[in-house]
Amino acid sequence: MYENLKTQPLIYLVTFFLLIVVMVPMGCTAEDPDEPDQVMVLLDWTPNTNHSGLYAAIEQGYYLEEGLMVEIIEAPGSVVHMVATGQAHFGVSFQEEVTYALLSNMPVVSIAAILQHNTSGFASLKEKGIETPADFEGKSYGGWGSPVEEATIKSLMKPYGADFEQVDIITTGEIDSLIVIEREADFAWIYYGWTGIEAELKGMDLNFIELRHIDPALDYYTPVLISGKNLIQENPELIERFMRATGKGYKLAIDNPEEAARNLLAHAPELDKELVMASQEWLADKYQANAEIWGLQQKETWEAYSRWLFEFELIEEMPDMEDAFTNEFLR
Amino acid sequence: MKKWKNIKSNLPALGFLTFVVALWELFCRVAEIPPYILPAPSEIALALGDNFLLLIFHTRITLMAVLGGLALAILVAFVVAVAMDRWKPLKQTLYPVLVISQAIPIFALAPLMLIWFGVGLLPKVLIVALVCFFPLAVNLVEGFSQVDPEAIDLMQTMQANRWMIMSSIQLPFAMPYFFSGLKIAATYSVLGAIIGEWLAARAGLGIFMLRAMNSFRTSHLFASIVIVILLSLTLFKLVEAVGWIAMPWQRQSKDQLEG
Repeated sequence: MYENLKTQPLIYLVTFFLLIVVMVPMGCTAEDPDEPDQVMVLLDWTPNTNHSGLYAAIEQGYYLEEGLMVEIIEAPGSVVHMVATGQAHFGVSFQEEVTYALLSNMPVVSIAAILQHNTSGFASLKEKGIETPADFEGKSYGGWGSPVEEATIKSLMKPYGADFEQVDIITTGEIDSLIVIEREADFAWIYYGWTGIEAELKGMDLNFIELRHIDPALDYYTPVLISGKNLIQENPELIERFMRATGKGYKLAIDNPEEAARNLLAHAPELDKELVMASQEWLADKYQANAEIWGLQQKETWEAYSRWLFEFELIEEMPDMEDAFTNEFLR
Repeated sequence: MKKWKNIKSNLPALGFLTFVVALWELFCRVAEIPPYILPAPSEIALALGDNFLLLIFHTRITLMAVLGGLALAILVAFVVAVAMDRWKPLKQTLYPVLVISQAIPIFALAPLMLIWFGVGLLPKVLIVALVCFFPLAVNLVEGFSQVDPEAIDLMQTMQANRWMIMSSIQLPFAMPYFFSGLKIAATYSVLGAIIGEWLAARAGLGIFMLRAMNSFRTSHLFASIVIVILLSLTLFKLVEAVGWIAMPWQRQSKDQLEG
């Protein structure tokens, strides 16, 4: 029985294995060693209109003009880690995350505020009648169940003398917020520039309570661009070139939202075109807003929010906010 | 003859699937479910058509991680299994460790892989390899140890060395075990690659899924699920086919059994 199958299986196995090995490199592209500097940017989420300036700078050739070849990668949840360890040059983060990173001695610094103001807030269906934070009482909130959400709701209710204990907190995790407020809970935390616009397009009537209108401390920077302290020390010139081109990209998004939307869609055709166009239009005057130049960060904004985090016992000490951000690459 | 039998044996599953899809379509239409909650099969088919080229592009990237990971897992599983069979103390030391290693949730390990190995193809290949390694190694070890000891004794009396025993008795004997391990590994592998892409990637089916989800396009998400199913199914069938070609003796005995 054994003689007719001596080496046969081995041969097939080796062939099968080789076949797989040969197939793997297909589709890999070769890299040019002496060409422009390779730069990697990590995104906090799926590509969206917050990132339009980056995509515009790629599509319009602003990065190439600076001798940079920029690659954008989506890395939700690992941005700070990978920028801190030098796996990537830049990343998109937000003020709270950078503050926590600072407290854990992770070497990252915010180098630009992508939006001047916090555009997030609590959304609910109009028929629920949630017009001010006082109306949160007796209602349910659907979110990730993180302590900062509870503190934010508490903080908004305080000036109205409303009782936080009467809010039912439900963990809905990754469920789309619009579905959450339709069927799981009464209100949810959304970014108006994306989810709010989607609701408008769907014809949903929303009440929207913007955080910064209730508590100025909550007008923190979200999102921000970050880089590693090591890179700032070793190669500040690379960051300057990157930021010059990125600034131009956001300038385009401000002046010509339609073109910026097209540039974003060219890189992420999976997105809904209508949503991107409408969101881009809405965000155009919010990137720079009233700031002197795009990206500028104020020390007061960094301090106000960390003071707030400290007051609500979400952090145990107040870090020196001087270390959290820098404006030196914006000019 | 065999082909026909195959089709016939798949008929009930196909019929059931058609029934479920028809019911689903009817339900969506009659109950007027909004497409962002549950898209009807017809909408998913449309989304598949609209995104066909894009899905092919992302599938190619995912496939590279899947094949790379499978190849690596096969290679390492063979080396480890042969070594464990050759040196018994090694088996006693490593086997429990292998089992323990499977208790580590891949979701916890994957972010570390990214921090250690960056965001390119390598960490995804490693995640796939990690997922696929265990069923392969365990089945191979099992297969090697189930060989009829008399056959080995016979070879030894005929002055065969270890390598000859391995290649002419143990390896063929372990093949059915190997291929059933490979079937499991092949179905897991796509999942492993997508987990890797969810954490950080430039492209791939995982990225397509995230983008579809985060821009509220549920029908596109379902379209990519269809692709994942097709991909897993193709890999599974491919393994089956290779097994059929590589093990003629199994084929005969099976056909005889089935009459």
